[in-house]
Amino acid sequence: MFTVPFVLDFVLQQGEFTLQIHERFEASSVSLCGPSGSGKTTILDAIAGLRHPEDGRIEIANRVLFDRSLGTDLPPRSRRVGYVPQDVSLFPHMSVLGNVMYGTARGSPAPLESVIKLLEIEPLAGRRVNELSGGERQRVAIARALMSSPDVLLLDEPLAAVDIKRRERILLYIQQVRDELLVPMVYVSHAADEVRRIADRVIELDSGRVMATQVE
Amino acid sequence: MPGDLVDVTLFSVAMAGLSTVLMLVPGLALAWLFARHTFPGQSVLETVVSLPLVLPPVAIGLILLRFLGRYGPGGQLLDEIGVDVIFTWKAVVVAMTVMGLPLLVRSARAGFEHVDRRYEQIAETLGASPVRIFLTISLPLAARGVLAGVVLGFSRALGEFGATIMIAGSLPGTRTLSTAIYTSTQTGRDTEATIMLLTAASIAFVAVFVSNRLATVE
Amino acid sequence: MMLRLTTLVAAALLLVGCAESRSDSADDYLLVSAAVSLSGPLEIVAGEFEQMFGTRVELNFAGSNTLATQLIAGVEADVFLSADERQMTRVETAGLVEASTRTDLFSNQLVVVVPTDRMGVVSNVSDLSTSRVGRIAIGDPDAVPAGVYARRYLQFAGVWESVRSKVVLTRDVRAVLAAVETGNVDAGFVYRTDLALVDRATMVFAVPTVGRPEIRYPGAVLTLARGRPAARRFLDFLGEPVTRRIFETAGFIVLARGTDHAR
Repeated sequence: MFTVPFVLDFVLQQGEFTLQIHERFEASSVSLCGPSGSGKTTILDAIAGLRHPEDGRIEIANRVLFDRSLGTDLPPRSRRVGYVPQDVSLFPHMSVLGNVMYGTARGSPAPLESVIKLLEIEPLAGRRVNELSGGERQRVAIARALMSSPDVLLLDEPLAAVDIKRRERILLYIQQVRDELLVPMVYVSHAADEVRRIADRVIELDSGRVMATQVE
Repeated sequence: MPGDLVDVTLFSVAMAGLSTVLMLVPGLALAWLFARHTFPGQSVLETVVSLPLVLPPVAIGLILLRFLGRYGPGGQLLDEIGVDVIFTWKAVVVAMTVMGLPLLVRSARAGFEHVDRRYEQIAETLGASPVRIFLTISLPLAARGVLAGVVLGFSRALGEFGATIMIAGSLPGTRTLSTAIYTSTQTGRDTEATIMLLTAASIAFVAVFVSNRLATVE
Repeated sequence: MMLRLTTLVAAALLLVGCAESRSDSADDYLLVSAAVSLSGPLEIVAGEFEQMFGTRVELNFAGSNTLATQLIAGVEADVFLSADERQMTRVETAGLVEASTRTDLFSNQLVVVVPTDRMGVVSNVSDLSTSRVGRIAIGDPDAVPAGVYARRYLQFAGVWESVRSKVVLTRDVRAVLAAVETGNVDAGFVYRTDLALVDRATMVFAVPTVGRPEIRYPGAVLTLARGRPAARRFLDFLGEPVTRRIFETAGFIVLARGTDHAR
C-alpha cells in the first residue's frame, strides 16, 4: 500500500467558529468524520485554498500548499487538488464530457482512458448534467477531479446524494481509484462503515477540534 | 421622408448596436466586480455608474459637453490627437453608451449574483485562470441577466434623446430616431413622428423578442 | 451571439464611414444652430441657399437654451438663430456673437386655441375667466418665452388673478397644443406658427401686438464662424423676398432687413 505524508496543522477562524487541527502522518487515504458543523468541509476548503487559515501549515505529498511562517499560500488553481464537493458541483450548462474535460487544460496528460473506463463514463458522455442520477453525478464529478491530475482527491460525503442500493457501487469505484490510480484522498463522511472501508487513517472531529485519530 | 426614415433608422440601430458593443466590456467588468468583490470606493463607483439613471439625460449631456467640449479637459485632449467628437456620430455613440451602461451593469450584476460561487471555486481548483472561469463559468451561468442587460442597454441607447441632442446635436449626420421624433413633434409633423415612433417601438420589440428566444435556448 | 454582434459592429462602422462627411474647409460649409420651431421653413430655405451659393448648410435643431449651452461649451457653429432673446443675450455675453450682426429676424404671434369640438365657449380674453372655462394651458414662464408672453398678456388684460388657479404650465408650446387637441384643457396659448398642421384645435383669437412686436427671433453670426462671408450671406438671405414668402407661409412675420416692417 502506497502512502504519502500529510501535514494538516492549522488554525482557522470563521466567525464564531474556530477550527484547530494539528496532525502530521503518513497515509494513502484519510477520513474526516464527525457530526455536521464539526468542521469537516472547512478542512477540505482549506486544503483546496478556498478558505484561508490564520496560522499553521498544510502540506500534502511533500508539497507545501500553505505555510504562514513562510508566507506561502498557493492559489486554488496551483494546488493540484481534485475537489468533489457535496452539494453543487457539476457545471449545469455543460455536457458530461465538457465537465470531465474541464480540468485537463492544465497540461500534464491525464489518464483519460483509464479514468473513463474505471468510472464507466462513456455511456454518459453526451448526456446533459440535469439528466443524471445522483450516483452518475458523483461518478462524473470524481472523473472530472481525476482528469486534472490531482496530487490529492478531496471527497465530501460522496454517498450523500446516492440512493442506498447504489452506494456499494460508488464505494467500489472510489476504492479502485485509490488502488489502481494511486491517488491519495481525503474522504469526508459521517458513516463509520464507509470510513473503515476507504480510509487507513480516521480523524474524528467535533466542534472544530480533533477528538480522536485512529489507524485502521 | 421615407428614404430619410430608412437612413435615420439604420443609423440609429447601427449607433445603438455599436454603443452596446462598447458597453459590453466595461459593463460586464463592472457588473462582475460589483457582484463578486468589495473594495474601497465601491459605493462611489456604483453611484457614478448609476448617475445616468438618476439625473435627467439633459444634465448628463451637459456634463459630457463640459467635459468633451473645446474648453473641457477631455475636449482638449481629443483636440491634441486631432479627434473631433462633439457634433459627430462619435458623440451619438458616447451619449448612448453612457446612458445605456447602467442598465447593462444592473441587470448583468443581478445575473452574476445568482451564480453560485461554488461553481467558480470548483473551476479554480481544476486549474482554470480567472479569465477562463469568467468566460466559461460565470458568464454562461449569468447569461439570462447579461442578455437582459444587453437588450436593456441597446433599447435605452436607441431611445436616448436628452444627452444625444446636447452633445451630438440634431444634424444630418447625427440625427437619430429620437432626435428626429423630437424635431417632428416640435414642428407639428405628427404623422412623421408617429411613423418613426412605431419604427422605434418595433425595433425595441424585436430586440426583446430575440433576447427572450436566446434566453430560452440557453 | 458573438457572430451577431460582429455583424452589427461591421454594419455600424460601414454606416459611420458614410456619415463622416463634415469637412472643415472654409467657405463651402456652414453649421447653423437654429431653434427647433424654425425647422420647417428653414430646411427649405437652406436648400435654396445651397443651390444658389453652393455652400452646404447643416442645420442643428434644438431648443434655444440647449443651443446656447452648446455654443458656450465651445461647439463651433457659424450662425445662431434663436427663438428666445434671453438665450441670444447669453451667447452674446459670452463674447461669441459678432456684435454688428445681431438682427431680429422673425416675429410670431401668440394665439388662443380651443378644442375644435368646444368652439363657441371662448371668443375673447374675458371669457377665459368665466366658469365655463376649466383649465388653461400656457408654457412654463421659467422654461419657455411663450409662457412669459402669455402671462404678461393675461396680466395686461387684467384677468391673470382670476385665471391663475386654473392655469396649467407645460414644458413647451407643443405640449400646450397637445393638451388642447386631446381635450384635456379648454384653452391654450400657442404661436400662430403652430397652427399650420393642427386639426383638432381651432384658433379663437390672436393676442394683439401693440407697437414694437414683442416676440422676436434674433439671429447672429458667431465669432467662431469658420466661413464668415458665407455666414453673413446666409443671415442676409433670410430677408430676401423668396425666403420671406417661405417663412410667411409657415405663419412667421418676417422682420429681417429688406422688409417693410419697422424695427
